[in-house]
Amino acid sequence: MLCELLLVAGPLLRAPLAAPPAADDLTDWLPADPLLVIEAPRPRALFEPLLDAELAAVVTSLPPWQAWAASPEGREFWNVVRTLEATLGLDWRTALARLAGGGAVLAVAPPESLLLVLEAEDADLLLRLHTILLGFARAEAAREGDASRLDPVRHGDVEVWSFDGKEVHAIVGNRLLFANRREGLVAALERRAASPGARLAGAEGWRAARATAGPDAAVRLYADLARLKENPGFARGLEEGRANPLAALLFAGIVEAMREASWLSAGLAVADEGFVLRAVVDGAADDPASPAAFARPDPADAPALPSLAVPGRLAAIGLHRDLHGFYAAKDELFPERTSSLIFFENMMGIFFTGRDLTDEVLAETRPGVRLVVAEQRHDPAAGVPEVRIPAFAAVLALRDAGEFGEVIEEAWQKALGLVNFTRGQDALPGLILDRGEQNGTKLTIARFSTAGIDDRAHLPPRFNYSPTLALPQNHLVLSSTEGLARDLVDALARGAGAGPEAGDQDDRVELDGAGIGAALAANREALVRSNMIDEGHTREEAELEIGALLALIGFVDEVDLRVGRRGATTGARLDVHLRRPAAPAPAGPRDAAPR
Amino acid sequence: MAPRHQLSRDPAAAWAPYAPDAARPWTLARASHLYRRAAFGARAEDLVRALAGGPEQAVAELLAPPGDLTAFDRARDADETAACRSGRSDAVRDWWLRRMILSPHPLRERMALLWHAHFALDAAQVKEAPAVRRHVALLREHALGSYRSLVEAMVRDPALLASLGAAASRRGQPAEGLARALLERWTVGAEHCAEEDVREAARAFTGTFVRGDEVIHVAREHDGGVKRVLGRTGPFTGEDVVQIALAHPATAETVVRRLWRAFVSEVEEPAPALLAPLARSFAAGLDLGRLAGTILRSSLFFSDAARGQRITSPVELAVGLVRSLEGLIATSTLARDLDRLGQRLLHPPTARGWAGGPAWIDRVTLLRRQALAAALLAEGGAYGGRLDPREVAARHGHADVNAAADFLADLLLPEGGEAVRSAARAELSRGAPGEALRRFAIAIARSPEYQLS
Repeated sequence: MLCELLLVAGPLLRAPLAAPPAADDLTDWLPADPLLVIEAPRPRALFEPLLDAELAAVVTSLPPWQAWAASPEGREFWNVVRTLEATLGLDWRTALARLAGGGAVLAVAPPESLLLVLEAEDADLLLRLHTILLGFARAEAAREGDASRLDPVRHGDVEVWSFDGKEVHAIVGNRLLFANRREGLVAALERRAASPGARLAGAEGWRAARATAGPDAAVRLYADLARLKENPGFARGLEEGRANPLAALLFAGIVEAMREASWLSAGLAVADEGFVLRAVVDGAADDPASPAAFARPDPADAPALPSLAVPGRLAAIGLHRDLHGFYAAKDELFPERTSSLIFFENMMGIFFTGRDLTDEVLAETRPGVRLVVAEQRHDPAAGVPEVRIPAFAAVLALRDAGEFGEVIEEAWQKALGLVNFTRGQDALPGLILDRGEQNGTKLTIARFSTAGIDDRAHLPPRFNYSPTLALPQNHLVLSSTEGLARDLVDALARGAGAGPEAGDQDDRVELDGAGIGAALAANREALVRSNMIDEGHTREEAELEIGALLALIGFVDEVDLRVGRRGATTGARLDVHLRRPAAPAPAGPRDAAPR
Repeated sequence: MAPRHQLSRDPAAAWAPYAPDAARPWTLARASHLYRRAAFGARAEDLVRALAGGPEQAVAELLAPPGDLTAFDRARDADETAACRSGRSDAVRDWWLRRMILSPHPLRERMALLWHAHFALDAAQVKEAPAVRRHVALLREHALGSYRSLVEAMVRDPALLASLGAAASRRGQPAEGLARALLERWTVGAEHCAEEDVREAARAFTGTFVRGDEVIHVAREHDGGVKRVLGRTGPFTGEDVVQIALAHPATAETVVRRLWRAFVSEVEEPAPALLAPLARSFAAGLDLGRLAGTILRSSLFFSDAARGQRITSPVELAVGLVRSLEGLIATSTLARDLDRLGQRLLHPPTARGWAGGPAWIDRVTLLRRQALAAALLAEGGAYGGRLDPREVAARHGHADVNAAADFLADLLLPEGGEAVRSAARAELSRGAPGEALRRFAIAIARSPEYQLS
């Protein structure tokens, strides 16, 4: 059927080109007041991975891809692609590059208006493809007895088409204009003749935002935050952070900057081994009287937060947060005293023997919180849990561990005692308390006993935890496992980690893709089982889905996110380093797989 | 077939096996009735096989399905065991629902569900998921076996003892929870035992402790003195009390009434004379499979008056719909929805389980049942459109929309729903066939008639 349609469409392939464009910049077609604009000025940078045969070999060797390619949908898709390739006389990668290689812009404007402008490097190819697709649509319309619906409507010197009566599009020279509303497309065509002031280029916010995206960006995004915040759902999302103490602690500064900002700009630059995403908003949230001021501690009092290097590290997070300031502002941050908050304060009162949590406990910490997540090393002889949960720890700098260290020790041991008492009431095994030493630092360790457990290859989840406290180098280390606590003591003794520059107040998140992938792979069976009952999948479907997830993570090497103030703006930089898993040896012909 | 009220006056005729004849033919409606009551719901192939083989064979296959059940059980046991070890607290509930949907032995799961309501374990009182899994496995293992073995397993089940507050019973402070449940709910019934019987039986169970995942007996904490339980006197142990209670004639009647409520009626109180033959027969060996078979084969069970008047529980409703449409859905989501309908699996509201019957439906839960049916059959949403009425109909040779609608109506509501079918047909006139058939199936599954079995 497809081939017949292509024969019908064949004579149309040499239709004349429409008038050449009058505008030079693709954004000149866009309205002056969009909510959102996505630009791809250098799309070839995005196509490179698709054009890379070696990478394609890796992707197409993955079981999820092969399963899709062998499915009826996959076969149909590639049949269509191959037929188009044969008709156009080009392979799909080349065709894609020539069709979209000139750049593209997408704009969203109220109400629900969408406009896409795509610049082809090969205008003739664009016209030929359009003619083929028009042939398909005409044949379909003829079958339904409504062939005339495909007739174009002329607007000036431009023919405006619609395949399904909903979308509308036009080809102007080497540019394809596509809109979800006819009036949107007509307005774009008329904008060519309009004064520069009526174009997006005349908008002040747009110019300012575009300048921050970086000259090397392959894709740029601009959002009019001032107008987006008029949307109740968006505004509610910004406000919700206030209600949750953990969210308020983690995202302080960012949410406030978003509230102040009138625009957001982002740029995606593609490098050989990954990509860099930069985002900026024109808000800095620098009001010292703000309850969120705890997220901007005085640099003189806030130490730099070098990331801590420990074996098997999966993630490291450094947040410039003043916990004392945070809790001192709790009445403003969380006016509603929830039962959870009251319970927390009551327990802290017990653990710290009535000391005031704000002024007598948290005031003893220096601004800055570091969190570390690391792979656990289980000794098979001692036992391995059925589900392996990574170790995690928090590290805080203390003002004077000598004075305050024993207060923390006492609180920690009270907490462990309470845990043991509560578990005992439920006839559950308790923790054995122990002392250890690492690099001259005493450790307070709690661990579960495996006595009486025969099957040590499938231990219960509690064996992922051996909560440990240490106070090395004027720091407090609170770890979910003894092993990570020991590694952190060593790291702090070394002063380990690539230190940030002095005065660097960026919050930072570092992820190790390979490690995270390995941690997930170690729990593959548990993930498959969860998928089965959470998605209603068969085991085969679940294995395929989890396999795809792991394969995707397998491409990520390292992720580094930094968020902080940039003068009068707030910015974020995300560096993602990708890696290319080795392609497996060829396993014979694969009919359904793409070439 | 004689009306049920006539059968009720003639126990011998009531419990005599149903033998189809011209006046009482073996129809789709009767076959569907059997599967909805005993197996959550019928798949198309079940109905085809049942109609071809007759009622006797259909019941026999429900009691002992052909095929390799061991392989199915082994695979599910492995998944459930591992899931429980992962620490996910609701794993047992979610995996049990999945097993109900997929099991080649649905009557066994239906009976396990019945015994869950009977013994009423509350998982909130049991901190370890593996113990809850073992409890459900015991219910399943003995579901159609000996009631004696079932009760003996229950009084030694650490999860159930913890749930009953009987994890530590000392000579100086006997825990009464187990003794009360045994006498008042599992065996003779509250009307056949006095408070003194419960106290004395509790003394017999002293020395019983739950330690980890096992029940141990501490001799020095056992009260070895003489007790008087249900009219018998002696230095009884807990095991002795179990045997005394099981041997009491009222126990057989308690169990027979349980199965009457599950398979025949939850609203009609049967006369003792009607149940007497079943109770006498059951008392001889306490054979649950034989008792279930007798009821499911009976003329009374297949009588016109017995059909389509029992309100299905939320679990039966949802699992039945999914089984009938040969699908598989997210059971963690389903479990949460069933909770909103009043049936939180493994968390019964009282020590007597769920009230059942008319208590399943009020104005709010009826709307929620309808919403659940619509969600299960919707193209997207929480269940991801994984039930596809059109695909099921096509799989059984009904590609045409109207033929597919007839197939679905026969499958889901083979009798008593002419008005529903007619109204549902209005949904076929618009939209693509797949969407139209989804709306058609939703209209049937939302109907008051579909809430009954």
